[in-house]
Amino acid sequence: MSAATILSHDWFPRPLPDNVVIGARSWCYSSYAFLHYRSRRERGVRVGSDSGIYHGTFFDLGPDGEVEIGNFCTLVGSIISTNSRVTIGNYAFLAHEVVVGDSSVALPPAANGSESVANDRRQRAIVIGENSWVGARAVILSGANIGPGAIIGAAAIVDFEVPAGAIVAGNPARIVGWVNENRN
Amino acid sequence: MSGLIGENEFKAITGGWDYAALPKNVRVGADCFLERRDSFKRFRSTREPGLTLGDRVKVYTWTEFNIEPSGAVEVGDDCTLVGAVFMCAESIRIGKRVVVSYNVTIADSDFHPHDPEQRKLDAIANAPEGDRSQRPPVIAKPVVIEDDAWIGIGAIILKGVRIGRGARVGAGAVVTKDVPAGATFAGNPARRVDAENKTP
Repeated sequence: MSAATILSHDWFPRPLPDNVVIGARSWCYSSYAFLHYRSRRERGVRVGSDSGIYHGTFFDLGPDGEVEIGNFCTLVGSIISTNSRVTIGNYAFLAHEVVVGDSSVALPPAANGSESVANDRRQRAIVIGENSWVGARAVILSGANIGPGAIIGAAAIVDFEVPAGAIVAGNPARIVGWVNENRN
Repeated sequence: MSGLIGENEFKAITGGWDYAALPKNVRVGADCFLERRDSFKRFRSTREPGLTLGDRVKVYTWTEFNIEPSGAVEVGDDCTLVGAVFMCAESIRIGKRVVVSYNVTIADSDFHPHDPEQRKLDAIANAPEGDRSQRPPVIAKPVVIEDDAWIGIGAIILKGVRIGRGARVGAGAVVTKDVPAGATFAGNPARRVDAENKTP
């Protein structure tokens, strides 16, 4: 295991967790993002190169939680709360106050490792596809599989498979269009 | 080195968290967990008490007690408040073992008048150099969330709503009407999504 990584710009008095890898030219605003992080996976969080993890982003991972973020991704204050696997493809953009969670009543993992009755930890992985765009305050739940290039509207609630290039909005969310519709 | 932040470290980053430094009209039960001082940044209640937390209540970093001078909030034993933003002008009461997830707003008032003329006066009083004491009165209707209810990510609970015992509110729901005990509500506006007549 390599020596603890301390972000040179950090104000929060902690190194990054040992099982977190942040790629070349990527930016993480602070180790504060790992305030509730309890992943014991070999790679709890892997961020690719040229990606930005900005202020207000949190990785509230349970002991089995795993997050993989690609290259050229932007997270401007999203909360990822999972004890399962979340994959975010290259060029994806997650806007302000987005929550990616195992269940609709997702919680940070408890300090003592005990589980709240509200957390259903038998959840399926979540995939946020390459070059997709998740709008502000959207909620991405277990079962969501967002196809490449799709757009999720602000505050939409998504727990289903979104085809590549679809535009999804509302609560309950539905497909309201396609990204290539207006190009011709 | 994963895990929640330790007490000493926590004091270091908050500039010395001290439960005694809470507003005097806040009552905190035994073994509560309050993650951040910022949860009280907009606590302005002058009621006695203005906020009551039962025993073993967990208050995570995103929770805010935005309580007006006239407001009072009560939270029962063993509740978990992850990201509950309370906007309280009169009364919000939460029972025991209630779970509130990320980015939830619970408001007992709309905080601005509906009438356009009144709203103009409100805007003037709220201007950067305005006189806030001249704000027109607002309507408040108490919110009650009963024991064992769960409130999903990003839900909004509006004034006058009573959420019954053991009810479930789905992610992103906007709740404008009472939720019966044991029922599951979702959507905007929220409606019942489980079978009716289900006994809790």
